[in-house]
Amino acid sequence: MGRSTPLFLLAVLASLPVRVWAQPGAAPPSHQEVLIKNAVVMTVTRGNIQNGSVYIKDGKIAAVGKDVSAPSSATVMDAGGKYLTPGIIDSHSHIALDDDVNEATSPITPQMMMIDAFDYQDKAIYRGLAGGVTTSLLLHGSANMIGGQAVVIKHKYGARRDAMLFPGAPRSIKFASGENPKRVYGSRDQLPSTRMGNFAVQRAALVEAQDYMREWDDYNAKVKRGDKDAKAPKHDLKLEALAEVLRGKLLVQIHCYRADELLTEMAMAKEFGYKVRAFHHALEAYKVADELAAQGVAIATFSDWWGYKQEAWDAIPWNAVISMRRNVRVAIKSDSEDFARRLNQEAAKTMRYGGATEEEALKMITINPAWIIGVDDRVGSIEVGKDADLVIWDGYPLSSFGVPDKVLIDGEVYFDRSLPGFGMPHYREGE
Amino acid sequence: MGIQSAGSAAGRGSSVGGQVLLVVLAACFLPSSSRAQQKPVALKGGRLLTVSHGVIENGVLLMSSGKITALGASGSVTIPKSAQVIDVTGMTVYPGLIDSESYLGLTEISAEQSTNDLIETSDEIMPHMHVYDAFHAESELIAVARLNGITNAIVAPQSQDTLPGQDSFIQLDGRSASDMLRVRDIALPLNFTGEQRRNESWEKRKFPETRMGLAAQLRQTFLDAQDYADRWAEYEKKKTEAAAKPEDKKAPPSPLKHDLKLESLLPYLQGKKPIVLAAQQPSDLETAVGLARQFNLKFVLNHISHSQTVLDYVANLKVPVIVGPIYEDPKNYERYDAVYKLPAELYKRGVKIAFASYDAHAVRNLPYAAGYATAFGLPHDEALKAITLNPAEIWGVADQLGSLDVGKTANVVVADGDPLDVKSDVKRVFVAGREMPMTSRQTELRDRYSQP
Repeated sequence: MGRSTPLFLLAVLASLPVRVWAQPGAAPPSHQEVLIKNAVVMTVTRGNIQNGSVYIKDGKIAAVGKDVSAPSSATVMDAGGKYLTPGIIDSHSHIALDDDVNEATSPITPQMMMIDAFDYQDKAIYRGLAGGVTTSLLLHGSANMIGGQAVVIKHKYGARRDAMLFPGAPRSIKFASGENPKRVYGSRDQLPSTRMGNFAVQRAALVEAQDYMREWDDYNAKVKRGDKDAKAPKHDLKLEALAEVLRGKLLVQIHCYRADELLTEMAMAKEFGYKVRAFHHALEAYKVADELAAQGVAIATFSDWWGYKQEAWDAIPWNAVISMRRNVRVAIKSDSEDFARRLNQEAAKTMRYGGATEEEALKMITINPAWIIGVDDRVGSIEVGKDADLVIWDGYPLSSFGVPDKVLIDGEVYFDRSLPGFGMPHYREGE
Repeated sequence: MGIQSAGSAAGRGSSVGGQVLLVVLAACFLPSSSRAQQKPVALKGGRLLTVSHGVIENGVLLMSSGKITALGASGSVTIPKSAQVIDVTGMTVYPGLIDSESYLGLTEISAEQSTNDLIETSDEIMPHMHVYDAFHAESELIAVARLNGITNAIVAPQSQDTLPGQDSFIQLDGRSASDMLRVRDIALPLNFTGEQRRNESWEKRKFPETRMGLAAQLRQTFLDAQDYADRWAEYEKKKTEAAAKPEDKKAPPSPLKHDLKLESLLPYLQGKKPIVLAAQQPSDLETAVGLARQFNLKFVLNHISHSQTVLDYVANLKVPVIVGPIYEDPKNYERYDAVYKLPAELYKRGVKIAFASYDAHAVRNLPYAAGYATAFGLPHDEALKAITLNPAEIWGVADQLGSLDVGKTANVVVADGDPLDVKSDVKRVFVAGREMPMTSRQTELRDRYSQP
């Protein structure tokens, strides 16, 4: 489905008004019933429940509260007073892609599908899981102005590839701007080597896609009229992907640092009639937070990385909270195999830098990144009907000292710190 | 005040000809006194984490002339009338933190090569590189680190050479570089992690492209340095003899040519200063230790992130370990917490440990790494010690730094919570008794853009 025949794609898309295109994958539901009790349930959206319980049925959260009745057949997990949060969601990751993060041979490569490179056996998936991450958006890199299409995974380490895909997750496409594209192509004496070149390349590609879309629209109109001589235009994967951007079928995720470029990207989106879902990195968002909020664009940012390149020189650790206070939806993401393992600690930094509340900090690694990925109706909070992706913590999660004790995905324990070896009931080395 | 070993470290350098040169250098680079504390300051009502002798609740800490002059429970300390009294009730007061490996002052913007002075990679043997020659005292990064309570740090060259040059020990405040460089050439890194091999690509391959090559080159280098020392000793002897018996009318021996590379190795060959021996996996660790033993080098270990299987061997070496970074990814065959729990495992075996940021921009996160190690079994007090008193001892400055004790330099931090927790906000930082402005380029940007 992710790589359907183009004709099918265009025909179907024309009839799909709202819902963006979804990735395939059907999770075989676990029929195990589980009752987690005696936990401090941090629901994210509905406050904390002291001495709370969560009842899980068919991989979904079936009940949440102080007094939850569950059938006696349910497996009881006593959390022993520990904290229970939704699984952490990482809205910017490049793990499990080997060295195939960038197809850096052309600045416009929207036809690249990250699923084609998805190395589902990469242990980084396990290490993220052990840090409490249950869902990640695996993105193309930032070498190209328009990179490839992302894949959304659940960290079910030990499962086969398709069982790890987040079923029905919308498709996202990665755009980039600033230093990376101009450096990659500029160092080869190619276009783009400046920010002018960057945006000219992007605009040219979108204009080409508009023409392509028009050709197909004309053709489809002729067919509809019963014109038997109508000749189908040639299929072009690249332009078809861009046409989907223009039709609003893909969530547009843009790597962007500087305030001026955040504004330019939003202007370009307006010019071509697509929406930006989120700016990634967005280290200068605090300078243009009102403009971002007005457009409903989220940011996926670092807590305190800075100074690694010129466009990260004005990065400040207060970026997340200043932007949040101006009504920007903010996620803290990893962009790193290392940071993915302790996003809870990164989120807690927003409590220190700017005074985010516990719930606001927690949102930045749960429901907000879920929204960026387009799966906030499925994960990101502890609510009835949502996937039972949960973390039981040793210690307080929003601190230096909190680490996952157990991690459940779709109601099944995928990580248990108390187990020997790798701590994974579904995976044993060498089997 | 301050740490006066800068001159002595260099001056003690060598008993051979090199000494002449080193003494001259030392005279030039003796640290001038830091900006002086004007009047006594008393921090009153805080929770004092002394590190050396437990916790004092509702304590008073007095600083004057740059030193800690008194501390104790409220009422037990007489506060002079002239003192500025600061109420720190509800706050935690602890010694300034010490980063055991940073690149502060050697870089500003990582990707902008013009701002980097991190390492000379033209040769693998560069012990005559001194980070103090590049140290940029006006770096914007220094205030950012200091705002989180880091008051002292080792500045080291990066690690792509086996002998990349000598570390300096800095204080994160001062009028100038010479003010901040408290101990020049405090130690010499010896890196043996595989990263030093010149095997980047087939086109760029050159000697030494293997670990054999690196080790052989190191052995030859230390042999050359020994030989150099011997020849200078011989020269000195002949010179003394000639001077003692002028009646022999022997021509005085002609002095040897100075070799900066070999000369800079002499204090280390003589065991006067420590080598910082970096290895990751057991095989490299044993090769590196073998090499250090062959030349009787005094050493501390660095990293050893993937040496979990030989920790008893490590403990038996009876040397301190700069551990981590604990965020180093485990190998694929290792459990997720293999590196996280390394500090705790070393501590259990009686090894003295210290943490390091191994970074420039992220120096401010040093206490959080120590905090994270507690989630994997390191006692909280030991984690704090590993960024205060332990590094002070390892670097030979514990008479001045690392704990809240009378007579020590008044590097003191006040925070609204646990120093190791990410949520704790550092409220005040004192360096040599002077209160630091709580501003950096970053707070200025924050303030400018926080206005609606």
